Amino acid sequence: MAYGKKETENKPAVYEHHGHTEEHFREKHLMLDPLPRGQMNDMVMEAMTEKPSWKYWLTVFVLASIVAYCLVYSWIRLIAEGVGIAGVNRPSYWGIFLVNTVFWIGISHAGTFISAILRVFKAEFRRPFTRVAELMTTFGLVQAGFSIFMHMGRVWLAYWLMPYPNQRMLWPNFHSPLSWDLLAITTYLLSSTMYLFLPLIPDLAMARDKTTGWRKNFYRILALGFRGTEGEWTHLRNAMNIFAFAIIPVMFSVHTIVSWDFAAATRPGWNSTIFGPYFVIGALHSGMGAAVVVLAAVRKFVKNMDYFIRAEHFDAIGKLMLIISMGWAYFFFNDYMVQWYGGDKWTKQLLHFHEAGPLGWMWFAMLIVNIAIPWAILWNSKWRSTPWLVSTVGILINVGMWFERYIIIPISLTINRMPFTWRMYTPGIEIPLGIGTLTLFILLYVIFAKLIPMIPVWEVQEGQMAHQLKKFGRETVVTVSELE
Amino acid sequence: MAEKKSTTSHGLLAVFPDLEPAANAVEGLRALGVDDACMNVISGVPVTEAMLGRPPQHSNVPRVAMGGAILGFSAGSFLAFIAPFMYAYPIQVSTQAYVPWPPSFVLLFELTMLGMLLSTFLAVFLDSFFPNYRPMKYVPEISDGKIAIVVECEHVEEKKIMDTLKKFGAESVKPAEAKQL
Repeated sequence: MAYGKKETENKPAVYEHHGHTEEHFREKHLMLDPLPRGQMNDMVMEAMTEKPSWKYWLTVFVLASIVAYCLVYSWIRLIAEGVGIAGVNRPSYWGIFLVNTVFWIGISHAGTFISAILRVFKAEFRRPFTRVAELMTTFGLVQAGFSIFMHMGRVWLAYWLMPYPNQRMLWPNFHSPLSWDLLAITTYLLSSTMYLFLPLIPDLAMARDKTTGWRKNFYRILALGFRGTEGEWTHLRNAMNIFAFAIIPVMFSVHTIVSWDFAAATRPGWNSTIFGPYFVIGALHSGMGAAVVVLAAVRKFVKNMDYFIRAEHFDAIGKLMLIISMGWAYFFFNDYMVQWYGGDKWTKQLLHFHEAGPLGWMWFAMLIVNIAIPWAILWNSKWRSTPWLVSTVGILINVGMWFERYIIIPISLTINRMPFTWRMYTPGIEIPLGIGTLTLFILLYVIFAKLIPMIPVWEVQEGQMAHQLKKFGRETVVTVSELE
Repeated sequence: MAEKKSTTSHGLLAVFPDLEPAANAVEGLRALGVDDACMNVISGVPVTEAMLGRPPQHSNVPRVAMGGAILGFSAGSFLAFIAPFMYAYPIQVSTQAYVPWPPSFVLLFELTMLGMLLSTFLAVFLDSFFPNYRPMKYVPEISDGKIAIVVECEHVEEKKIMDTLKKFGAESVKPAEAKQL
């Protein structure tokens, strides 16, 4: 008798593959678990308008105090006493301020990646968390701007970078990387803020309809008189499509230009043609890591968010994180291999210093948390769908990416072609200022969670309209209609 | 003398529970002789013209975006190719040409994109008449998923329009009043 034949004969030949019943799909997928629009609106509004608990106010107070000391007071000190109180000195003229600038620009990339690229490719899982990600772009770029102004020292002279007519005709050199930076970061900050605002308008109109008092006035002003007429939706849809396509090359250009600040210099470790894409993939790596942390925090601490943000979303972001981690490993190895094989005396010295110098532990830690840990955890669907675990990986990736930037900037500057100048960089006031930017980033989220709808409800409803379950023979599958 | 008929000079506002009855009502109104230009559908989600069987909406957003891109490109060209000749002192960088091409591409790209995106944003404001804080015909139920049709038609009797809207499943039909949003 053939193996298993008896069982086959006795049982009906119908199999429930993986137990995929209709109920299973509804529990798992937000898009297949629709609630009435009014109820979804109420859930989002409740999260915003519910009277904050004492824990909320305590959190705000603690974060604001840290910002006041670390960011405001320390920056005033930096301005009053000069950049001498920072650790930058020959040969490491660039220190943590620029590490943080690159780090925050990297963080800001996830917002555009999630919102624009996933919108262009019609990845449906993006719908509930595009706003959380878009906010990250704007808030991250604010911190990047602060960090570069700190590095500038005499911040009140920042306007010298602008092309304004002046009596002495002293204009900046627009062909210099410094001017590209200004243009690229300004373009990205403005575009990402506009891209955040456009899809927010319908939700602000919803908030206007649902509130009273000062909130109603606040949302009335911000909603600009939006009603949802056919014309308004058409203009909005057209604009969002243009933004989604156009902001992607802008995003790539920003971090590529940042990488050219380094790669355009003929220094060991920096003068690399691969630096553009290496920086972009690094930005996406830290950005996705940060996005998953923010998403887990919003789900945990903001009321009713567990309906909108589910395990499926962590699973999807986890997959992206895994792919990006592999991409980062490829570019890292590519960069390392070419420099190592080139055999230049000073480059070899620098690579050896990275691995075996006093901060060699940082180099190894970077590889462990950027490659080994994500690969070890994110391959497993169950682990990937566990919010605390995947967000822990996200935190570790961000630590690793911060180390990467620290290695590229002050550590690499330590070794140059003039050994008599070699000197380790020791940060000074950069540390509280860095803590200040991180705290301000968190504080902005805490405040904005009470001010604007964190979930684009209309986008969620649009997605729910497009999804349905369909039977193909004996199997139930999810189908999506293209509504646009 | 013909009896003066009541017409919807101020308009009627009908609220529908869903897309399907709203699309049927649009068809019904058209059969009644109401022109598409006399109707406006308001919804809380972007229902397309095709779903409602309505003519495509005209939008200037792509054209304005293109105009902005051209302006941005022009600004980039000015900074890249003309500004260097306006410096009080020439800035010669190493062995590069006085107006080098590769860095000029960076300027042209960034300013073209900035011009395009700023003008796209501006175009939404211009085309949608934002900001508009005057009283408008609207009901807050639209935010909760209802679909409203505002009919402003002077040559068709109001009662006939009202009956058609109700026949196709309108939850409520009332004179459209402009209210402060």
